[in-house]
Amino acid sequence: MRQQYAWRSLLLNGFLAFVATLVVLQMVRIQVSAEAEAFRAQADAFKGGYKTFYPERGEIYDRNGHLLAGNQTVYEVGVDLTTVIDPHSVAMAVSVNLGKDYNEVYSEILNPPPGLSYLVVDNFASSEAVTYLKELKTELSNSGNPTPSLAGLEFSPRLERSYPEDALASDVIGFVNREGRGYFGIEEKYNDLLAGNPVRVWVPNEPNRAVEIPNVPNGTSLILTINRDLQGAVEEILDQSLKKYDAQHGVIIVMNPKNGEILAMASTPRMDLNNFENYGVIFNNASEYNRAIGMPYEPGSVMKIFTMAAALDTGLVNPNTTYLDTGEIQVGGVTIKNWDNQAWGVQNMVGCLQHSLNVCMSWLAVQLGPQNLYGYLNRFGFGHLTGVDMSGEAAGRLKVPGDADWYPVDLATNSFGQGITATPLQILTGASAVVNQGRMVTPHTLYAMLRDGNQFNVPPQYAGSPIRAETAATLNEMLATSLENEASAALVPGYRVAGKTGTAQIPTPLGFYDLSQTNASFIGWGPADDPQFMIYVWLERPTASIWGSETAAPVFSEVAQKTVVLLNIPPDAVRLQMATH
Amino acid sequence: MNTTNRLNHAYSQAPWRVQRQWVSIFLLIVLGFAMIATLYLMVTSQAAIIGREIQDLRLGIIETENTNADLQTKLAQLTSKDEVEKRAYALGFRPAKPEEVEYLYVPGYVAPKGVKLATVPELQPSAPSIPPEYTQSLLDWLDERLQTTGGGLR
Repeated sequence: MRQQYAWRSLLLNGFLAFVATLVVLQMVRIQVSAEAEAFRAQADAFKGGYKTFYPERGEIYDRNGHLLAGNQTVYEVGVDLTTVIDPHSVAMAVSVNLGKDYNEVYSEILNPPPGLSYLVVDNFASSEAVTYLKELKTELSNSGNPTPSLAGLEFSPRLERSYPEDALASDVIGFVNREGRGYFGIEEKYNDLLAGNPVRVWVPNEPNRAVEIPNVPNGTSLILTINRDLQGAVEEILDQSLKKYDAQHGVIIVMNPKNGEILAMASTPRMDLNNFENYGVIFNNASEYNRAIGMPYEPGSVMKIFTMAAALDTGLVNPNTTYLDTGEIQVGGVTIKNWDNQAWGVQNMVGCLQHSLNVCMSWLAVQLGPQNLYGYLNRFGFGHLTGVDMSGEAAGRLKVPGDADWYPVDLATNSFGQGITATPLQILTGASAVVNQGRMVTPHTLYAMLRDGNQFNVPPQYAGSPIRAETAATLNEMLATSLENEASAALVPGYRVAGKTGTAQIPTPLGFYDLSQTNASFIGWGPADDPQFMIYVWLERPTASIWGSETAAPVFSEVAQKTVVLLNIPPDAVRLQMATH
Repeated sequence: MNTTNRLNHAYSQAPWRVQRQWVSIFLLIVLGFAMIATLYLMVTSQAAIIGREIQDLRLGIIETENTNADLQTKLAQLTSKDEVEKRAYALGFRPAKPEEVEYLYVPGYVAPKGVKLATVPELQPSAPSIPPEYTQSLLDWLDERLQTTGGGLR
């Protein structure tokens, strides 16, 4: 009996061992079989996959916390061809709600390209349209009927750039394309900061390894120095001025001369940033995107500020130095005349600025000599980038002796703004030395960065001191007096301002100047005794009047009046009264 | 010899008792494995559930962030310059002219400089700090005590 049990036990054990061996052998066979790789790949596919995590692009705010550039959800709408039941309903739904062509979608679902299992119908569907489609899909699914059905219609959300203020400050902000890359302005300059660092990692499907999914920090948000309300007002004034003076294009910049913060910068044309696809229609080339920094031009008489600054700083003249203006001067074999071809007689240096005398400035340039004049212009930043934190800045051109295209007469013409090119921002930056006790500021648009909930303010930077503080104070006073004496259209009631007009003929491609068309400019600041704003106005080819004093100067006044209200700058009388408290 | 045999016989266990002991030990081991397996199963299932919850929460976070971004943009659109201006005009307001603005001197008033959008509060010098009893490890405390008592042991 005992022997019988022993045999049975042995047989059972042997059978189980045999089955176990078979299982092990089968496992080994599978591991080394030809299909092993396919099985492994299938297993890997179920384990997870590589995925790139794109951080949310940082937002852009104005200096008062108004959102200028944010993000909004858009959807990729696609059709899973393996689960679609009713191609007609799917094609109809996307046709009606997403504006797609019914026949095209329907035929693509029925006859997809070989090997395709997922068909993208729309890459940028709006939240509203997708919400409706989702509700419709659920409703049809719950109805219990096999058709109509939207089974197979899939939605993948992602964030896309959105600009709530549309075209406001478009030339400063720039835009982001569909691929998430910034172009122009802040969006391009700070693209890396705003975009953050995308992370590509293996994402396991296994829930036990959920903690391995990285938490990608959002891109850095930026606060700009731009004042939204002032920016809007300046854009409005610029647009109206172009109509009023029948100018082709224009630029207005408002800057804080003490720290270089750009408070408003308007240029034409502008573009609704939410429809950046129109870029090619609106702009002919990249330099037109923001003329304030990208388009150097011959500025004309506003350059006389720098010639006079050099003459005062070297001690060549003082405000009371007199000059007998005979109406013309010979420099390098060329006769230089005043803007009105008239002789203005004995003038002091304030008179030279007030009447914008080319002959007087040419005389100063000759007295200074090329080394002095170009040394000063170089130190004022002409021919160099200002370093403004926006993409697309141009440096302009300052010809100097030794250059192939420099002639002795250039010494004279450069002194009153011909034969030299600069951007409006370069001129504003150079003139900030006159306003800021001889110290030039670096213009900038970044006020602060926001990262991980912390705010990091950007300190102002200075770009050297081309002139002494005494020179700056003297010139400031001269420019304020000259405006008052002239009863300029630039004057602002209640505020003492300083500034200079500019009317420049436009060089033609043949090398001659077009006498019928001009660039009208005005640079000014106020209050003269404690400047809190600097304004630059450039109107391109105005036809209502060719003179800067009749076009750009009143525009300056209008912008200044808006600026003092929006920046809470009290009139001089009130301010001085407050100071005595 | 007989005495020895008798003693062996007296103290040796019955065969059925030995078998029962072996069976008990075997069952004990099986029970141990079963307990460990049950525990492992419980822990791994809990971990899986929590892992799945984490995955869901992460998706929830992304959805909430997207919704937040949408709402923020929507709010900015509703309060954009053009919209606010339209509403202001509709309410009968118009832009002020410089001569219409009245300035009032307020002694001691300092105008705020610049916007602060930081969500993390800045550390205040007067903010109460956490006492070391709540942050110090036992070794830190011992080290501090040794140093404050003259450090004679060093």
